[in-house]
Amino acid sequence: MRAGMPALQLEMTFIDIRESALMAFDTVRSNKLRSALTILGVSVGVITVVFMVSIIQGLNKAFAAQIESLGSNTIWATKFDPSIGHQPTSEEIHRKELTIADADAIRREAPSVVGVSPFYRKINETVRYGDKQSDTPILIGVTPYHEFTVSSYVARGRYVTDLDVEARNNVCVLGLDLVKALFPNEDPLDKDIKISGHQFHVVGVMEPLGSILGQSRDNSVYIPITTFEKYYPDIEFPEIISAIIVRPVSRAYVKSAIDEMTDILRKQRRVAAGAPNNFGISSQDALLDIYNQLTGATYLVLTAISCVALMIGGIGVMNIMLVSVTERTKEIGLRKAVGATRTNILSQFLIEAVVLTAIGGLIGLSIGELFSFLTNRYSPLPAYVPPWAIVVGIGISAGVGIIFGLWPAWKAARLDPIESLRWE
Amino acid sequence: MTEATVATSPRTAIFGKPDLASADGKAEILIAMQNIWKTYDMGSEKVHALHGVSFEVHRGEYLAITGPSGSGKSTLMNLIGCLDTPSQGDYWLNGKNVSEMDDDELARIRNQEVGFVFQTFNLLARATALHNVELPLIYGGIPGARRHEMAKQALTEVDLVDRMMHRPNELSGGQRQRVAIARALVNHPSILLADEPTGALDTATSYDIMNLFEKLHEEGNTIILVTHEHDIAARAHRVISIRDGLIEKDEQIK
Repeated sequence: MRAGMPALQLEMTFIDIRESALMAFDTVRSNKLRSALTILGVSVGVITVVFMVSIIQGLNKAFAAQIESLGSNTIWATKFDPSIGHQPTSEEIHRKELTIADADAIRREAPSVVGVSPFYRKINETVRYGDKQSDTPILIGVTPYHEFTVSSYVARGRYVTDLDVEARNNVCVLGLDLVKALFPNEDPLDKDIKISGHQFHVVGVMEPLGSILGQSRDNSVYIPITTFEKYYPDIEFPEIISAIIVRPVSRAYVKSAIDEMTDILRKQRRVAAGAPNNFGISSQDALLDIYNQLTGATYLVLTAISCVALMIGGIGVMNIMLVSVTERTKEIGLRKAVGATRTNILSQFLIEAVVLTAIGGLIGLSIGELFSFLTNRYSPLPAYVPPWAIVVGIGISAGVGIIFGLWPAWKAARLDPIESLRWE
Repeated sequence: MTEATVATSPRTAIFGKPDLASADGKAEILIAMQNIWKTYDMGSEKVHALHGVSFEVHRGEYLAITGPSGSGKSTLMNLIGCLDTPSQGDYWLNGKNVSEMDDDELARIRNQEVGFVFQTFNLLARATALHNVELPLIYGGIPGARRHEMAKQALTEVDLVDRMMHRPNELSGGQRQRVAIARALVNHPSILLADEPTGALDTATSYDIMNLFEKLHEEGNTIILVTHEHDIAARAHRVISIRDGLIEKDEQIK
């Protein structure tokens, strides 16, 4: 008698699913309003999840793209340890500046590196041309390699040359924002402008660079690094920072480039063996790590909100399933009388709950996608629904059905057939 | 339950598994109730719904169980239908000792050995007659095509095959009960167990249904009718009267 059981059980489970699905659709049809409200509850939950995921993914993707746009795989050496949003310690502030000599050492000695460019950066510089003035530009003191190292190139005219660096020439290359601000109707090339009162000759105009983290990269003025030193011999944090940007041979060389740079800089800066670095090195991957660290907490909150929304939907499902079980007590009794086992009844009600939540999930997914599409289109927030989110969305809604349908289904499965048949 | 099992053992020695092919040339024994007790624990006191009921039913019999309400007749019916197990005593159905079975085994036995007919029909309101009849086959794990065929055959048996796509609310009371009878027959069970099958029907329709039972009996089905109506019970060939949890009378009337 037992020999044929597993095959029979399997067959029955399969038939069961069809029967259960039919039964579920039947319930949905015959209780339209109630089902619609339940489905709505689940939909709202799934919409929240999809929307949150799309925002998170969109932000991540946008950030990654912006990091990428800084130039492919650049490595930054700075006086401070890499971080976002924490003030440097006094130990960090009192460290030696990174120098052009440090950069030269890296260029000479690091085989994994193809480009090295030291630079100074000063914010809120005043730039004038005639009666037009801009107070927000960023002044960057660069070497000719800078253009290549960060993959931002001059569009017209020329960039800073070795000769400019050697001779400390007062020449500058303008970003597009400045061209628009100072030369709305004129060609800026070969004009003389005033930077903090010093006269500079415009030799080039940059290509459009876009923005990173909401900050325009077109709002910069590039001058030779030596000219920068001439006017700003004392580097005052936080207005002025210095750094060395390094470009490794390829992405595969990031690790070895960092190792080589670390060795060279420790030697240059005379760090005792065993002492910690008195400089910071960060790559894009490290920046991404910092970003993820920073945003992780936010995402956790968003995820928690989604979970609460889903749970409310789930409670709705549990409610309708409990009502459904009570209403159909007699039907359950009959099914048991004609041979339904506990497992049969349990799976029938579970499947019914899953059908409800899956419908809700599909609707929620569609609306969530629509929301993120509209957000992407009409708001500055980037939104992106990754393909896996669709699978996860359906999985989650089915999971909600199972979790919140389990108790009602268990109640149904445990009903006594005699009592149930007598129930009116 | 454990207590009952222990208490059962010596009696099993006395009664034991019934001889299926009985010596007196009658048909095999289908049901053997051996000193059946059913006790309900009502908190402060124990209520004995059945105290020591024993009888046998042979294959092909047409039996009515009667008794006033509170006599233990419904309890006995639930036991015969394997919806419940006795507190004490052994119940052998078609060679299997039902009294020691768990819930899932009972469900399987009900599915294969018992065809229920209820007073209120108990059809699924939103399902067609055909689907209603298919229900036991679904839990019996019969594949779709075969299920369909068997259900159609059972509906033919009760003369309703032309109505198989109708839902219960499109059928008359008599037709609904015939669908229910088809559902009870579809699995070819050992017994047809009908609980007040005419209780919700008018007199004329009741006669139709009783005629149908007559026909099914002639075709070899074993029928057990539970009723408190004497004229309905009189249609059976043997009547067992229950009173106060005991068999009062057990007479062959035809």
